[in-house]
Amino acid sequence: MKNKLFYCLLISLLSSVSFAEKMNTGAPLLHGAGDDKTGYETKEYKTNSKALTTRVGQKANLIALVKQPPLGLPAVPVPSNNPITVEKIELGRKLFYDRRLSLNNTFSCAMCHVAEQGFSHNELATAVGIEGRSGRRNSPTLFNVAYAEKLFHDGREDSLEQQVWGPLLAHNEMGNPSPAIVLRKILALNDYNGLFKAVFNKPLSMETIGMALATYQRTLNSANSPFDQWYFGHNEGAVSPSVKRGFKLFAGKANCIACHTVKKDNALFTNNRLHNTGHGFRVSTQPRPAKQFITLAPGQTIEIDSDLFDSVAEKKPNDVGLYEITENTEDRWKYKTPTLRNIALTAPYMHDGAFKTLEEVITFYDQGGVPNEDLDPLINPLHLSNSERSDLLAFLNSLTGSNVDQLISDAFAAPVGDIE
Amino acid sequence: MITKQTFTQFGKTLKGVMLGSAVALSMGLTALPQQAQADETCMSPYMAKIVGQEDYVYVWTLGVIGVGDEQDKMVTVSVNPADKDYGKVINSISVGGRNEAHHSGFTDDRKYLWAGGLDTNKIFIFDVHTNPSKPTLHKTIENFVADSGGVVGPHTTYAMPGTMMISGLSNNKDHGGRTALVEYTNAGDFVATHWMPTDEKLNGAKKSGQFADGYGYDVRVLPRRNMMVTSSFTGWNNYMMDFGKLVGDAEAMKRMGNTVVIWDLHTKQPKKVLDVPGAPLEIRCAWGSDKNYCFTTTALTSRLWLIYEDDKGEWQAKDVAAIGDASKIPLPVDISITSDDNQLWVNTLMDGKTRLFDISNPHAPKVVFEEQIGKQVNMVSSSWDGKRMYFTSSVLSNWDKKGENQDQFFRAYDWDGTKLTKTMDIDFVKAGYGFPHQMRFGSNALYSKAPALKSADKIIASLSK
Repeated sequence: MKNKLFYCLLISLLSSVSFAEKMNTGAPLLHGAGDDKTGYETKEYKTNSKALTTRVGQKANLIALVKQPPLGLPAVPVPSNNPITVEKIELGRKLFYDRRLSLNNTFSCAMCHVAEQGFSHNELATAVGIEGRSGRRNSPTLFNVAYAEKLFHDGREDSLEQQVWGPLLAHNEMGNPSPAIVLRKILALNDYNGLFKAVFNKPLSMETIGMALATYQRTLNSANSPFDQWYFGHNEGAVSPSVKRGFKLFAGKANCIACHTVKKDNALFTNNRLHNTGHGFRVSTQPRPAKQFITLAPGQTIEIDSDLFDSVAEKKPNDVGLYEITENTEDRWKYKTPTLRNIALTAPYMHDGAFKTLEEVITFYDQGGVPNEDLDPLINPLHLSNSERSDLLAFLNSLTGSNVDQLISDAFAAPVGDIE
Repeated sequence: MITKQTFTQFGKTLKGVMLGSAVALSMGLTALPQQAQADETCMSPYMAKIVGQEDYVYVWTLGVIGVGDEQDKMVTVSVNPADKDYGKVINSISVGGRNEAHHSGFTDDRKYLWAGGLDTNKIFIFDVHTNPSKPTLHKTIENFVADSGGVVGPHTTYAMPGTMMISGLSNNKDHGGRTALVEYTNAGDFVATHWMPTDEKLNGAKKSGQFADGYGYDVRVLPRRNMMVTSSFTGWNNYMMDFGKLVGDAEAMKRMGNTVVIWDLHTKQPKKVLDVPGAPLEIRCAWGSDKNYCFTTTALTSRLWLIYEDDKGEWQAKDVAAIGDASKIPLPVDISITSDDNQLWVNTLMDGKTRLFDISNPHAPKVVFEEQIGKQVNMVSSSWDGKRMYFTSSVLSNWDKKGENQDQFFRAYDWDGTKLTKTMDIDFVKAGYGFPHQMRFGSNALYSKAPALKSADKIIASLSK
């Protein structure tokens, strides 16, 4: 009896330690690139690599995350012509991780939206598509993409059902030359035999592919973060005083809330609009520095002439943001306000992944962005003290959802489609 | 030739003797009359040999948008001065698609040439024995990723007795650098996946320093020491990326290999992970029976490293020389050891130079010759006697020089010990082929009728005398 009591106490203690550690770090256990490079710039760097053979997971009840989204999220908007079903989620999940959906069978949606890297890509500033073709922009997170009113950094799509065809057909993403090529390929794959008919009671088509992929992505809802538990759940102990001060700044002096919206009962941390912060303007118009640093190996960083590798570099493509869609001059360098949910998991930041850390992002906004003709009037110098910056960072780090591990584990359990 | 001295070393352990016998068997069973002690200098020791003049160079060539049929192809160049087509491309076989053609290697019987595609993960198996002047596509392995459990980027295709050992570069989960060795039978059937050691799963290996990244690149063996050795480059995200974009992406630049792994050749178990920072690429092992070492070069840090067995039988890694001006990142790529183990050719991509190192003291190599080969240069292949050198230009489709700096060639030289004299120069873009990468040698004599072979028992008996 004594022993039993001892073990109960021990388990209880260990559980609380584990919970406390998680609360302190805010880091889900399964999150992170498989070969952690933290501290790579230093001589002290040691690898902390995970084995690919242990990257296994457990299928989750994804439909529950749509029917009853986690604390802090509003009801999930679902198009009336594409209701959520378990079978549709399953089909969309299969398509999402299927590398055969690219022209040369090497690229799935998940190669850019890597589950354990925030359903984005922590290892690359800007995306790399089939045959290594260059993308101009950072892979955006798919966490809570169900709520996005505009899709892509330039907001050029309105629905997930339509959006999926962008990457499938983009020359520098999955590289399919036409919708028909995608349809023919799936028709020829035995493991898709009859699936579309069974799920939709309709044949395979552009529409049903879009519906299936959209449905899976619509389940990637993540909230009930420490912030949610405090702000919406009224649990005062869920976050530290620093987080609370950080939110006060966020909603007050720093006025981040003007774009990263928080409502009374829920928060998406985005107004779904596009803004010119000056970052895009700077990248497009300012000359590059004459020198740059390059890390050759752990603890070995040298300064080189920036033109040293020009002979092996393609010309960097320009990016003018929303202007490319509307051709309205005032839309130059406007990009979509990203959600801040799970922001600690989705580095690097900005539309081109230029900032490696949230500290750099805070510094950018503290300085008032980059002045230019079309700078959004909401962007102004903030004059934050060091402790205020620290509080703001603590707040951002409190936005990591409690079910991230569940979503990652489900992704690990998904089949990766390769030629067999 | 296996000498008595060599075999004395086999006697260190029972396993060594057995392995040595296996090597002898393999070499004996594939030996041909003119193959007593000659081969190109960087091939598998299990492989049949070419003596003297090679007849053909097979160039595994990347298809390029806007050039010819835009597909990867195996291009055959006639290189025997006695041939009427000397210096000409005499055959080209397109394989479909741009697969990121990279390395190739013969099976131990040298009848088939396996050529990998780092992007599409296809392995093209060419028949080079039926008509060595006109290889044909015998078989294509298309399910390498599924077979292997997710390995991406088949790189080195290296002959083992009856099988091919293929080093991967990446994986199908995150396109990063964690990967594995994959083994197939010569017939093209999957055998096993041997994962590179990571911190989470060292698989019995000892992490001797700070790193165990799980990355892969090249593979070589020293059978008499029961040793297999692998190096480490980077994953698909980086090797497929535009090179200029890569060096500007600080996070991506952290995804480079920093390890060399020593394996038990017999059991295929990793034994020791050595720190070799800066992306160690090609590995070349000494041929001499008393030389228990290999060389590798680090692409980013521009260093020559010695991987050697010390007096206590422990494998160690040692930085032994600089390659060019490291501050300019010349980027060492292919290397080629001479058959007497006294010299090592080292190519550097960015400045297009080849350098010859005197490695007679492997612990203190010295540069003794340097020459510009092109605006860039990647691969170097030497005849066994060291008199003929072949160079190609391409490293990776998106890493090669672009625009006015583009220079894609196959060049041959005679080497007299002091100077290189160009004998052949083919512009692969102008000729409509693409970007030329790895070269392998072919010979008509290899497949001529051989006299009756000695039995295995006789070979072993003669070795033990």
